[in-house]
Amino acid sequence: MKRRVFVRGRGAITPLGETWPASRDALAEGRSAVGPVKHFDVEGYPSQVAASVPFPLEEAEDRRLALARRAADEAWSEAQQRAEPERIGVFVGAESGRATYGTIFALSRAAGGGARFDHARFGEEARGLATSVHAAAVSPAAIASALAARIGAEGPVETISLACASGAAAIVSATQAIRLGLCDVALAGGVGADVDPFMLVGFGLLGALSARGVSCPFDVRRDGFVVGEGAAFVVLSSSPGDEPRSEIRGAARTLDAHHLTAPDPTGDGAERAMRGAIEDAGRVKIGYVQAHGTSTQLNDAVEAAAIRRVLADALSDVHVGAVKGAVGHWIAGAGAMGFLCALEAVEEGLCLPTAGLTEPDPACMLPHVVGAALRKPVEAALVNAFAFGGANASLVVSRCA
Amino acid sequence: MRLDGKGLPIVALSTLTTAGLAGRGLGRRVLESSLPLPSEIAAPAPSRPEDVRQRKLMSRAAWFSALVMRGALDEARWDEGRAEIGAFFGVGASGAEMDEVARLVAASMEDGRFSLARCGREGLDACNPLFAFQIMNNFTLCHGAILEGLAGPNAAFFSRGTGTVTALEEACAAITSGACERALVGGADTALHPVTMAELEREGFLRQGLTPAEGAAALALAAGAEAPIGYVEAVRVFTVDRPRGALVPRTGVLRDTAVPAAFDALEDQPCDVVVLAPWGTPAREALMDLPEVLEAEHAVDASLSLGESLAATPALAWALALDLLAHLDKPRALVLSAGPDGDLGAVVLGRGVWGRSSARPSVAPIDEEGA
Repeated sequence: MKRRVFVRGRGAITPLGETWPASRDALAEGRSAVGPVKHFDVEGYPSQVAASVPFPLEEAEDRRLALARRAADEAWSEAQQRAEPERIGVFVGAESGRATYGTIFALSRAAGGGARFDHARFGEEARGLATSVHAAAVSPAAIASALAARIGAEGPVETISLACASGAAAIVSATQAIRLGLCDVALAGGVGADVDPFMLVGFGLLGALSARGVSCPFDVRRDGFVVGEGAAFVVLSSSPGDEPRSEIRGAARTLDAHHLTAPDPTGDGAERAMRGAIEDAGRVKIGYVQAHGTSTQLNDAVEAAAIRRVLADALSDVHVGAVKGAVGHWIAGAGAMGFLCALEAVEEGLCLPTAGLTEPDPACMLPHVVGAALRKPVEAALVNAFAFGGANASLVVSRCA
Repeated sequence: MRLDGKGLPIVALSTLTTAGLAGRGLGRRVLESSLPLPSEIAAPAPSRPEDVRQRKLMSRAAWFSALVMRGALDEARWDEGRAEIGAFFGVGASGAEMDEVARLVAASMEDGRFSLARCGREGLDACNPLFAFQIMNNFTLCHGAILEGLAGPNAAFFSRGTGTVTALEEACAAITSGACERALVGGADTALHPVTMAELEREGFLRQGLTPAEGAAALALAAGAEAPIGYVEAVRVFTVDRPRGALVPRTGVLRDTAVPAAFDALEDQPCDVVVLAPWGTPAREALMDLPEVLEAEHAVDASLSLGESLAATPALAWALALDLLAHLDKPRALVLSAGPDGDLGAVVLGRGVWGRSSARPSVAPIDEEGA
């Protein structure tokens, strides 16, 4: 008998709001935060837009940490959980931060400054540069450690690095940890702060970013994703509390084992993840899907086809939304943000729309929520997160009876 | 997590160290002190066409990972049903190849200063369009999974020690829960990347005896096996208190945690072999009398021989322990890893049929072309 995993708190800081309620309200109106990048010069860059968090943040060694703290504080505060420190776990989806250009430049110069990196010369001359590389700025584990210290958690502290699936995968890991009895309470979620030159350079060169500067998942005009940033966290517990509202019923992770950047065109890995989560959930009626929906040509078409296969006849009672149209793609934080949207559907009956979607691609035909949010009772919702490299994570969350 | 019965069978392993890519023999080499000192590994060069293509997009750690995954799969003879095999790895900060970064920076200079505008115009063209993928940590797992067709349950845990132990814990949970029947688990990393080295220097680890190294190891776990080389009997991560803002605990605190942790992991079973993997001098001092406390006949400090390769270290220590059980013909080993993340990983391993085999472990030499 698996232990049940209840959702007790949630928090988010997004380009649309400083809190989850503020973000949710903006999302429900169909608003989008995508706009020109202003905090560094993007002249010549293949994509020059992003969804940035415009709100002032506490000073921190790293922007990811500042974002994560805000979302985690909100979730922890709502949850009001009390447990022995060793029974509290922290599960964070995060990728490595990047050293600043100044640091990379200094390292490069110390190693000769040419187009080849001279490791021997670096070894002799670059030690003195050590102070310019801040540990917290490059280590993803620093975020989980800092959050654990902040809430007094002494149970499992894990950092899951599965690119765009990291945030959802962290919630999967937290669910499993509670089910296995490794902890009773878990702070779980993800953070991404990828509106930076390296990300725009890397993904821009790859052709993955929207040249038009629009994030419009499943739309016929989609031409790539838009980089975003933010953090989303939930507090999970083995205890339902006085008025349990929702619980995680199903979780699964798979690999495509197909390609570094492209999804398996058959959608096999995505399909197995969804089927795995639904099978794990047992008898539930899915009423809402928060899709991965990146606004890239292939990903959206493959995901839409996989959703149609998995839900089949049940699709007539389902609605689909994809939050990246509104807040861009947070990479490691994206799946956790999607999870919050799914929670809203089961707890409040609020099915959030796909911003930017005006003309659905026939190849992506699904019962999309377009324009503004739709209200309807939802018993259970499915969340997808699929990553570069082929890692897939799906979750099923349901309303408590 | 304590596994039922004898534990979860380990059917194969593969390691990449300064001694080369090998399945067995690490224990004997360590006991004989015949391992080359920790240094840059001359990893075998890619030979298959798909390896050659993909290697260009891999970080060094990703290539290491792919090599040990293949080694473990070959030894396990898992040629069929690979899509159902799980993969759980501890991975490091997957630094981009510095040549790539250096080219980008060099092409972005204007009047002796770095220019973002010039980076946009010319820096971008100077590097591989896919270099962004070298810096994504999960690619240390995904490259190998793609090359070998592994498509089951999975996770990549950022690790400077215990993340890799968590990977083992999740792999065991995936198998015992029925999510998969077979899984590869391990770690791959390099502490020799310039940014990582600078980071370790800044944090004071190098001054305190951390010997930076690189390597990888993978174990193949199965729900059942007729003649496994060993068993995972127990696996657990212990959080260790540390002063506010400090990355690692004080020596005394680590010691005070390690002793009960060891007994907890062993659950009062005797232990013949202890393998320690302390990141440097303070952690070594905290763990050094543990073998005596446990009345273990044999103790090995893996980090003295293999150095500290961050996410790879615990997995290499497990491989070393399994080999020692075979070489010394002993039934049970405890592996304690205390990496630069400050926490403690405890894994109890049982001997399989290796020790009773007439074929003694041997070290496979590195292919000369790859050396």
